[in-house]
Amino acid sequence: MLPLESDIVNLERVWVAYSGSDKPAMRNINLRVSAGKLMLITGPNGAGKTTLLETCLGLLKPYRGRAYLFGVDTRSWRIREARKMCSFVPQDFIKPPFEAYTVRRIIQLGFAPYKSIFESLTEKENERIQWVLELLGIEDLLDRPIGTLSGGQQQRVVIARALSRKPRALYLDEPFSSLDREGRKLVSKVVSEYVKKKGATAIIVSHDVNPIIKYADAIVRMDNGEIISGDCYA
Amino acid sequence: MLEILALALLAAVLSGNLCGAVGFYVQRLKITTLSFSVAHAALAGASLGLILNFDPVYSAMVFAISSALILGFIFTKIKYGRELVSMAIFSASSAIALFAIYMSNVRVLATASIAVVLWGSLLAVTVQKLIILVLVLILFALYILAYRMHIDSMLYDVKMAEAEGLNVQAHMLAMLFFAGVIISLSLRLTGGFLVFALLYNPVAAALQLTRKAYMQLFLSSTLGAVSASTGLVVSYALDWPVGATIAIVSSTILLLAYLFKTATEMARKRKLRNVGGPGAI
Repeated sequence: MLPLESDIVNLERVWVAYSGSDKPAMRNINLRVSAGKLMLITGPNGAGKTTLLETCLGLLKPYRGRAYLFGVDTRSWRIREARKMCSFVPQDFIKPPFEAYTVRRIIQLGFAPYKSIFESLTEKENERIQWVLELLGIEDLLDRPIGTLSGGQQQRVVIARALSRKPRALYLDEPFSSLDREGRKLVSKVVSEYVKKKGATAIIVSHDVNPIIKYADAIVRMDNGEIISGDCYA
Repeated sequence: MLEILALALLAAVLSGNLCGAVGFYVQRLKITTLSFSVAHAALAGASLGLILNFDPVYSAMVFAISSALILGFIFTKIKYGRELVSMAIFSASSAIALFAIYMSNVRVLATASIAVVLWGSLLAVTVQKLIILVLVLILFALYILAYRMHIDSMLYDVKMAEAEGLNVQAHMLAMLFFAGVIISLSLRLTGGFLVFALLYNPVAAALQLTRKAYMQLFLSSTLGAVSASTGLVVSYALDWPVGATIAIVSSTILLLAYLFKTATEMARKRKLRNVGGPGAI
């Protein structure tokens, strides 16, 4: 199928393997996600969910097939420009107790790719950070070092960083893993509202589908590196 | 002689400062093994300079920068087994260095030309080299200040920074480039085998003393300068080899920092035990 202009992600018969491994981590994946959609990717441990997310962003390159992000081939050097329109919440976000960057600084750093030399944040950007923190109920953590926060608080901080950047595409890898029930509800609501209001796209990897399933436009189930069920075109 | 000592002292402070700072960044960016290979490439370059009659500093710089660029390029292409690649470059560079020294016409390892490459020499510092050191210091400081947000973002989480569209590869290359240049310039003072004492000991000591990233950077560069200048003065006073003396001073500082951390940690735990002990609510 020819890529459409509205496609945020387009994977065409993609195969991915980690170097040194003789077995592909992902096999023959076709996936297309357009603007304004929320896609949920689920499956057991080792199914290839994180590999899929990282392939969409071009952090992993396919050895067979083609992957496009905003119409840009992920092998192209222009992929960085496409990534600037994306936010990513990694699975391994927890920082050790000695990590001293404050919450404020960590969220400000999300704006780094938009900044040229010697440039710092504008008043408007700082106001947006404050607004997102309030939205996620962590405004009182602003000047706390990240290492002193609990896992759930740290997870909210990285989600706040992702949303502050006003991305056109959100890639969230297990965004509920450290959150309590209320936190899961809140993050699901905030993310789905962001997608609706801004016409953005969200691809969420989660083995726990409960918090977000009612907001999802498409659900893809993976196992053993393959998509085994669901709608690959959202 | 005093003029030479003053020149060497200034060079020691600048080299120590730069090595401490670049050591902090390579440690935080987890490219320590890369800088290790770059340092050995510098040693190979300096040794080849000996037999080809080039200034060892410049031949070291050419080798260090080339290896930094090659390693940086390879690292953008592969994500796993990177340490093995840098270890391969490390062993090849060491072999080149030893072959070059073997093939040079120098009969005794303590002669001045070999000492500059292997053990470091107080006499090896010239005004020209000092000016280059100052220029490198200014350039490095400008780079860090200009790209502070980009570098901080990478120090916090490289993967997240890359996913958000930051040019991580370019900054890694820049950092390795600076590491190569700084190692080449410090080589004259410490020698090729002991330059690591200025690169890694100060940052290891700083990590024992503070948890704040900016304080770690400040302490690492300060301890680097203190190690190099104290080592130089002691070596002059006791007529010891300069590189080895600097390495001993920086190792002693690291040991003291570790003992200080252990003592404060024990005191903290004792205080906690008293607070939560029998009778406490």
